[in-house]
Amino acid sequence: MSSAPNIERLYDDHAAALFAFLLNLLRNDADTQDVMQELFVRLARRPALLDDVRDERGFLLRLGHNLAIDLMRRRSTRDRNYDQLAREPMALFAKSADPDEQMFREKLAEALGELPPDQRAVVHLKLWEKLTFEAIAGTLGISLNTAASRYRYGLDKLRERLRPIYDEIQ
Amino acid sequence: MNSEFENHMQRQPMRDVPPQWRARIMAAAQPKPAPWREWLWPCPQAWAALGAAWVVICVLHFTTPDEPRLAGNSHSETPQTFAILQEQTVIMAQLLGSIDGDEQPAALPVGPKPRSEMARRQLFG
Repeated sequence: MSSAPNIERLYDDHAAALFAFLLNLLRNDADTQDVMQELFVRLARRPALLDDVRDERGFLLRLGHNLAIDLMRRRSTRDRNYDQLAREPMALFAKSADPDEQMFREKLAEALGELPPDQRAVVHLKLWEKLTFEAIAGTLGISLNTAASRYRYGLDKLRERLRPIYDEIQ
Repeated sequence: MNSEFENHMQRQPMRDVPPQWRARIMAAAQPKPAPWREWLWPCPQAWAALGAAWVVICVLHFTTPDEPRLAGNSHSETPQTFAILQEQTVIMAQLLGSIDGDEQPAALPVGPKPRSEMARRQLFG
């Protein structure tokens, strides 16, 4: 497997999904870029990592998730409190011309930030990557039941938090 | 089966990757030359010349004998030179003595006498 053109192809195919997932997890542009760069550097140095991979997207999401968790652990013991950072307002979604939709997106970003990272990761993969619970379990290295329960808990919290605004704009 | 609420959330598009990230990440992912090559890269000719100079120095160092030839010769000639010098000094003293009159040339110091002889003279007169 040749490295350079493959890395470019991998980036073009999967960067958007990785970016959204990592940004939702890390809640910070600089850290998201660091993790994405680390991920592609690793793939460039060891192209054989992808040799037996059937589901590239799933593999890259798992690698990105592991790198993000490592970064959060390192930083949380040093200079950043990720729970606090996750609650800060940040642009997770594209801007909308419709003010109601824009407000919903901002509130949704806030509500996602209030979820524990484990639940946030499952909710993200289910809603925006449209993965099955089985695929989510494989990606995050958890059991099927854990994936399903984390999604249920996360969704209940989002529903509770966003119901008023959701009902308002409907 | 997703609820309407889930579907509504699902329809919210995430932000796009900042376009400038691609170039940065691809540049970082490019294979880099070995560190020693990077270090030498600014002026490889200068480093090559320095290396060649060291090779020449080493070759010269290992092919020349340990003791310089001149030093060895001068060391072996020292007693002869000293004798010649002493003889010339005596001749010069005789010449000077003949000009000045009957003055005998002073005995030239040949060098410090051994301490053992001095000690014997002091003891036995």
